[in-house]
Amino acid sequence: MNLRLLISEPRGLTPLWVKLLIPILSVLAAGFVAGVFLYITGETPSAVYAHMLRSAFGSSRGWSETLISGTPLILTGLAAAVAFKMLVWNIGAEGQFLMGAIAGSGIAIWLGDGVAPGLALPLVVLAGCAGGAAWASASALPKVYLGTNEIITTLMLNFIALRLMEYLIFGSHSPWRDSGFSTFPSGRPLPEGARFPEFFNRLDIGVFIAAAAAAGAWYLFNKTRWGFEVRVVGDSENAARYAGIKVPGKILGVFLLSGAFAGLAGALFVAGPAGALDPRSLNLGLGFTGIIVAALARLNLLAVIPVGILLGALNNAGPSLQSIGVPTATVTMLEGGILIFAVAGEFLIANRLRRVRARRAVALQTAGEGGGG
Amino acid sequence: MGDDANLHPAVELRGIDKSFYGVKANDGVDFELKRGEVHALLGENGAGKSTLCSALAGLYRPDAGEILLDGSRVHFRTPKDALAAGVGMVYQHFRLVENLTVAENLVLGHQDLPVRVQHRRQERIAEEMGERFGLPVDPSARIWQLSVGEQQRVEILKLLYRDVQVLILDEPTAVLTPQESNQLFTTMRRLAEEGRSVIFVSHKLAEVKQVSDRVTVLRDGRNAGRGDTADLSPNDLASMMVGRELRLPRRETATEPGEVALEVSGLRMAGDRGLETVRGVSLQVREGEILGLAGVAGNGQRELAYGIAGLRTPVAGRVEVAGRDVTRWSVRERIAAGTAYIPQNRLGMGLAPGLTTEENLALKSYRRPPYSKRGRLAAGAFRAEGARQIEQYDIRGVRPGLPIRLLSGGNLQKALIAREIETEPRVILAVSPTRGLDVGATEAVREHLLAQRRRGAAVLLISEDLDELLALSDRLAVIYEGEIVGEMEAEHATADQLGLLMAGHREERSA
Repeated sequence: MNLRLLISEPRGLTPLWVKLLIPILSVLAAGFVAGVFLYITGETPSAVYAHMLRSAFGSSRGWSETLISGTPLILTGLAAAVAFKMLVWNIGAEGQFLMGAIAGSGIAIWLGDGVAPGLALPLVVLAGCAGGAAWASASALPKVYLGTNEIITTLMLNFIALRLMEYLIFGSHSPWRDSGFSTFPSGRPLPEGARFPEFFNRLDIGVFIAAAAAAGAWYLFNKTRWGFEVRVVGDSENAARYAGIKVPGKILGVFLLSGAFAGLAGALFVAGPAGALDPRSLNLGLGFTGIIVAALARLNLLAVIPVGILLGALNNAGPSLQSIGVPTATVTMLEGGILIFAVAGEFLIANRLRRVRARRAVALQTAGEGGGG
Repeated sequence: MGDDANLHPAVELRGIDKSFYGVKANDGVDFELKRGEVHALLGENGAGKSTLCSALAGLYRPDAGEILLDGSRVHFRTPKDALAAGVGMVYQHFRLVENLTVAENLVLGHQDLPVRVQHRRQERIAEEMGERFGLPVDPSARIWQLSVGEQQRVEILKLLYRDVQVLILDEPTAVLTPQESNQLFTTMRRLAEEGRSVIFVSHKLAEVKQVSDRVTVLRDGRNAGRGDTADLSPNDLASMMVGRELRLPRRETATEPGEVALEVSGLRMAGDRGLETVRGVSLQVREGEILGLAGVAGNGQRELAYGIAGLRTPVAGRVEVAGRDVTRWSVRERIAAGTAYIPQNRLGMGLAPGLTTEENLALKSYRRPPYSKRGRLAAGAFRAEGARQIEQYDIRGVRPGLPIRLLSGGNLQKALIAREIETEPRVILAVSPTRGLDVGATEAVREHLLAQRRRGAAVLLISEDLDELLALSDRLAVIYEGEIVGEMEAEHATADQLGLLMAGHREERSA
């Protein structure tokens, strides 16, 4: 009779420390689960994790590579977060990222050599945003005006974008393809003027552009009239219509913004570390990892910055694991685990657990016998 | 059950405590239900009636206290446990599967359901049960085809199908016409005669007097009185319920109405299923006048309100505000033209549930200074204006950052009304504005509507509550199946007459 039972009940206001603690615990729990697997395969988990930490943060080169890996994740995480906040399930950041890369590298190649970086780089950035937004519009317009399901359309368009990129490099003699190499096709290097200069090892200013985009999105959502309307729509479409807010326009706007962020990630990537539209370095699932970033950041538009860098560190540390004989897939496992625990943690943020004295359910025992049970 | 069981009451609740977010909904409540009686549970909304019933029905677990059935302690984890023990509840919001038939809903979730359901047989059982208990419904009809009153009958049949001995009916008459209510009372008496027990939750004194054997009164989550209904006068019950003399605001003597502020002519609107649910409604509301529109829910009131507010485009007809044709205007333009709308659906329509109270208070004026300038929000204005209105309209329970959905029903409505009348609108469209509110909040809402009438606003009050319509309106109209079937001065109207019109008996046809 003295059994104690854990029950859950909805929270009113979630304290800040819970909101911070849950994502941290998600990462630790994923680390623990992955650690069990590492242990089973005969590794020493602590040694593996120490190695990962060292390669991600242990040197200035590690730091710069971590930030380079984190830059696209901040933006694809942002793309997912702004959309998910509005209950727009854009899981097409992957395709929008690739279209941004295609558009960004395309304009750079079209401009050719001899254009000043001050002109070329803004154009590359804008083209990337436009490419991502245009690709998103292929899902957004049918959703808003015909009611199609964006989960399906965005997902499918990812594969089309991937095939398009492969066609441009492997299947055709497009301007994106490097004509110099004939043995194995690869992307044409971008003109010098359309490349972000490196200033700290291989790091360029892309990471600051990504962080500024996140800060700008936060400002837009929280401090502007447009953002207020968007938040009302995201909370309740009926309330928004009732208040005279034009719901389709808001959904369309957010969807395109989401696509633009993913496209920007693609443009920064080709004009930065990749230097060319190169399928092998672009096809890393950065768009999908953005969903993990958004979930772990709990759709907070500023939190995507540190979370994006954290997952960047993981991605960065992955390949170095091979040098100690541990499969790179460990990182994939960790990322999957983080997503599962982050989503599960949402329950704890919305509900609190309480211990209560347990009693037997539906026990039809008389009051007199109650003590003896 | 043996003789032994008859010594004990069918249900006994002792010292039930239940809190939500630190607010005590039930505070040491005792309750006793005899076998074969109709026992009224009377109290204002928010007095803890629904909470107490939900504890008995296994929906909530009480924080403290015990539940005894036939003298034996029980612990229900889920409503399923309660049902197995013979306790069932008809909730205010029905729990039926809209796309299934009546008979299918009856057997749904039943544990002994055979692999192959024999539809014919189930339908016959449903029909026989309906006849036996005076709950006629077509067993092969799908739920969405039924009226609210018929759906309620299905809910009761669902419990009887499981041979429930203790039936809890939570505010069952709120959705019924007076005639339908009387029919329900007959059924309740019949159930009691069979030896079942009925808990009848209500805040309407007349109904409690009419149907119950005994009554338990709750106030602020505590016991406030009990006794045999026959020994208690309506006045006794009212003072137990409210704890003071009850005086709801009423319309004072007729003022001279001004110009026509709202004119609806020949309005036709489609319902959710594409069928026409408003079929040529014409109405006029003058400045300084309250026009009450009576009708049973689902007769086109919602669509009419959408048409006036601009939320749905009419099939035909015109809406004019202050002489201007606004039929093709957007919601935003109509708000700017001075149309306020207090919808029945507070959370999720009138208010954005996840936003704060301050943000919700600004929902109609955020586009203008001081809330925003050149596209930028002024957080200070949200706070300052919010604080002023929270104070002025006595909205309680607000904490910084708290989503408004966590406020109580009365406070939600106060916030909604505050926002709507703050802009001094020309036309106010109010749909069931006091539904589900306690007496205090009802009083405040009615006071506000009357004050707006004095100020010169034209108020269209759409409601099912006849007492409210009679107390507030200058003129009354009745809507039935999307048409106005009667219009009269409020002074000459009676509840009986309105009830007949609401049930579809037209004055001209009845002769």
